[in-house]
Order: sequence, then structure tokens, then C-alpha cells
Amino acid sequence: MKIALGSDKKGFELKEIIKNYLQEQKYTVIDTTEEAAEDFIESSKLVSTAVLEGQADRGIMFDEFGAGSFMASNKIKGMITANVTEERTAHMTTEHNGAKAIAIGAGIVGPSLAKSIVDSYLEIEYAGGRHQVRVDMLEKMI
Amino acid sequence: MIIAIGNDHIVTDVKINISNFLKEQGHEVIDVGAYDTSRTHYPIYGKKVGELVSNKTADRGIVLCGTGVGITVAANKNEGVRAALVSNAAITKYVTEELNANVIGFGGTTVGKFLAEDIVSVFLNTEYKETAENKKLIEKIDNLAPKNADQNNNPDFFKKELDLWDEGYYHD
Repeated sequence: MKIALGSDKKGFELKEIIKNYLQEQKYTVIDTTEEAAEDFIESSKLVSTAVLEGQADRGIMFDEFGAGSFMASNKIKGMITANVTEERTAHMTTEHNGAKAIAIGAGIVGPSLAKSIVDSYLEIEYAGGRHQVRVDMLEKMI
Repeated sequence: MIIAIGNDHIVTDVKINISNFLKEQGHEVIDVGAYDTSRTHYPIYGKKVGELVSNKTADRGIVLCGTGVGITVAANKNEGVRAALVSNAAITKYVTEELNANVIGFGGTTVGKFLAEDIVSVFLNTEYKETAENKKLIEKIDNLAPKNADQNNNPDFFKKELDLWDEGYYHD
């Protein structure tokens, strides 16, 4: 599985930790910000583009709170991003929302929890079925 | 303040608690549903709350679904809405103060009653603090969204999806 990563300055250190963590496993990392982006809007745009254009299967965005990347990326047509602070939401949003990316706030989530969240996000598949009507609705919106 | 609230069928009971909490604090509540636990679809209610905030019928919005993700994404996908998925007071304070969030969402099954009430209180008692830096960020966020004239205040926007649902097109 190919995972796109991106961060602003405040998320950069955690992005590097998760990058190493994923590379130690079976994942191919596409790092869209080898150097930190100017702000979370630029980094979340880069990750969104990588996922929406099919270069990556899923994305992970890093900034200080996670909420900025959520707000910015979900303004992009077709994008569905969840900002998560625990594992259960990471699991459910993949299964039910087919989340194309998650956002993690480095000022909120420590490295150990971040790794655990990433595991939960990547270990599960989107369920489709009845959930697809809601995803179709989201993708029809802005 | 006038607060628009919306939810899906999974967390209607939590929504009622939040609605009561808001009224106890002296706020006026516009509840867009869902009103019971019959299966429905969170984008319908996220869109309704987003529009009420966007057209200034409501001052702010609060949305809930199981994890909060789906309905908050739906609310954010409205012109002029900056919605934030929150799970604690720190994120709530940041999005309101720095990003002028006008809708928050959280998980009715993931966030407990006490924390939910604290989150709502922080959201409603915090004001946007404009700086040159955050104003620029907000403008950039608002400009990311494509114009979607067909969507705004269109009650039939999801008609095709709902018709397909009724026909049994979507099934597990």
C-alpha cells in the first residue's frame, strides 16, 4: 500500500517518526513534504492531490492540532479526511467513511499514540455497502 | 446565541442531551434532525446545519454522528462554513480562536457526556481573535472550495442518491 505523508513545520517531526515507522513495515511512503510546507493548507493539499490522483492509496497529514488539515482538505472536491486523536475513530472512519486521509495533530497526539492510530487506520478496509450512499453524497458536495 | 444542531440516527439521544444543555445555558436551538433512530444518512443533516450557519440563520452549528467524522465533513463542505472535528477542549479552543470555526462536530459514541458539555461550552464561550496571520489562513481555506451553486439551499440536492437507496441499489 502506498501512503502519502505531508506536514507543515509544526507537524514535521512527527511526520518523520511515522515515515520511518511505515518504511520499516510493508508500506511504500510518498513524502510530499521532504521539507516542511509553508502552512497546513499547502501540506494537506499535497496529500489530497496524491490520493485523489491515485499516486497514493491513503494519506496522513500532520500539523499542530490536526483540525486545520481537516478543515482545509475537506474543502477539496472529493476529499474525505478525518482528524483523529485515538484509534477507534481511525478504525471506524476507514470502515464507514472510506477516509482517504487522516490528520494528526503533533501538539495533541504523542509518537506512541500516533503509531497506534496509524496502525488502526491502515489495518482495515472500507466496508462499502450501505455506507457508499453517504460517501457518494459527500463526494457530490463541494 | 442561535445554535443549529444536527445528527444521524446513531446518536439522537446524545443530540437531545446537547440540545437540553444548550437551552439550559440560555441558547436558542434549531434542531434539524434526525429526530428518531430510523436509519438515515449523515450528509443530509451536515448540509442542513452548514446552510443555516452559512446563511446566518444560526450563529454557530454543532453536529454529531457515531465518530463525528462523516457529518463534520458534510458540514465543512458548505460555502462559508469552517467545521472542525474535535475531541477535546484544546482543539476546540484553537479552531474557534484561530480558524474562526463556525461549526464543530464530535463523536456521540466516542466522546462522553461530561467532555461533550465542556467542548460545547468552550466552543460557545470562545471568540475568534483575528491576526494578520490567521486571517490569511482562513482566506486560503475559504478559497479552496469550488463554487457549487446547485448545492446551496437545494433541498433536492441528494435526490438521486436517495432514490437509488430506496430502489435497493446500496446494500451490504
